[in-house]
Amino acid sequence: MATENFDNLTDEQLVQKIVRNDKELYSQIIKRYQTKLTRYANYLLSEQDKANDVVQEAFIKAYINLNGFDTKKKFSSWLYRIVHNEAINMVEKHKKVIPLDPELDFDGGVDVEEDYIKSELSAHAQKCLKQMDVMYSEPLSLYYLEDKSYDEISDILRLPIGTVGTRINRAKVIMRKLCQNKMS
Amino acid sequence: MSKQDELTKQVNIEQTVMDKVLSGKIKMKPKWYFVAGSALSVAGLAGLVVTATFCVNLLLFLLRKQGPGIYRLELMLDSFSVWLPILALVSIIGGIVMLKKFDFSYKKNFKVIILGLILSIVAGAFLIDATGLSDLWSKKGPFKGMYQTKPRMRFKSY
Repeated sequence: MATENFDNLTDEQLVQKIVRNDKELYSQIIKRYQTKLTRYANYLLSEQDKANDVVQEAFIKAYINLNGFDTKKKFSSWLYRIVHNEAINMVEKHKKVIPLDPELDFDGGVDVEEDYIKSELSAHAQKCLKQMDVMYSEPLSLYYLEDKSYDEISDILRLPIGTVGTRINRAKVIMRKLCQNKMS
Repeated sequence: MSKQDELTKQVNIEQTVMDKVLSGKIKMKPKWYFVAGSALSVAGLAGLVVTATFCVNLLLFLLRKQGPGIYRLELMLDSFSVWLPILALVSIIGGIVMLKKFDFSYKKNFKVIILGLILSIVAGAFLIDATGLSDLWSKKGPFKGMYQTKPRMRFKSY
């Protein structure tokens, strides 16, 4: 195969090539996303081995369903959604984490300094996130650590954008309390 | 897990997945599978909405035909087809479940979508009644029998 630089291709263009019978290019997708997805799965599962299993399974499922992906949409959101589903299935199978309760939303409106949150996250992220309900830790980690927009998080978690904002605001408050307690 | 172990595991993920892809152990589902799935979902939703609208219209028609009043209510209850509201309810619930599967459902306020669906069904039923279609269907066509439900006389008439 002729050497080609695939870095200039968007995910969606790469997917179009893969479905047109260039299966080998799927390794490019894996290269682009495995580190990010493993980190994301690790936030949800807090176990590296399980996170790796989930990511591997997600890549397999994504490949099988690649023809179902609408290339007009964002591929990364679609892939993160698969990892989310796999991780939640794993959580439910092992019943280690409290299941998500979509009814438990709080009103937003609490604004905490972005820089403060970012610095707190980088220093104590894992420990604080592990203590938080996945309902809050997940959108928070997607927003701050994976740099996803509200719109992308809405696509990944299948929640209205308003609910995403509410959960992130609430998560910031919980995060600050947890991190401050830890430090003090 | 050390950085080296993590790297090894990641290489393994890529290798494991690509081995399965290239050996043909895992195959992409064909495009038509997803097209058919979407078409069936839309058809299913449309079918459920039509069924619910039809049932609500039939209920409205029977209520209108038998009119208000206690005695008439007794007659109506006596002749009432229990399957009708049950089928209407099942269709509406089925419609809501199907709506949830569509991409737009989580982008909007789902309560508003449900309310919109129910209002459309009721409005559709009223519209059929208002345009005289239900009267027509009670006289001819495949639904004639349903629209001509007669009360079974359980009470003695004096």
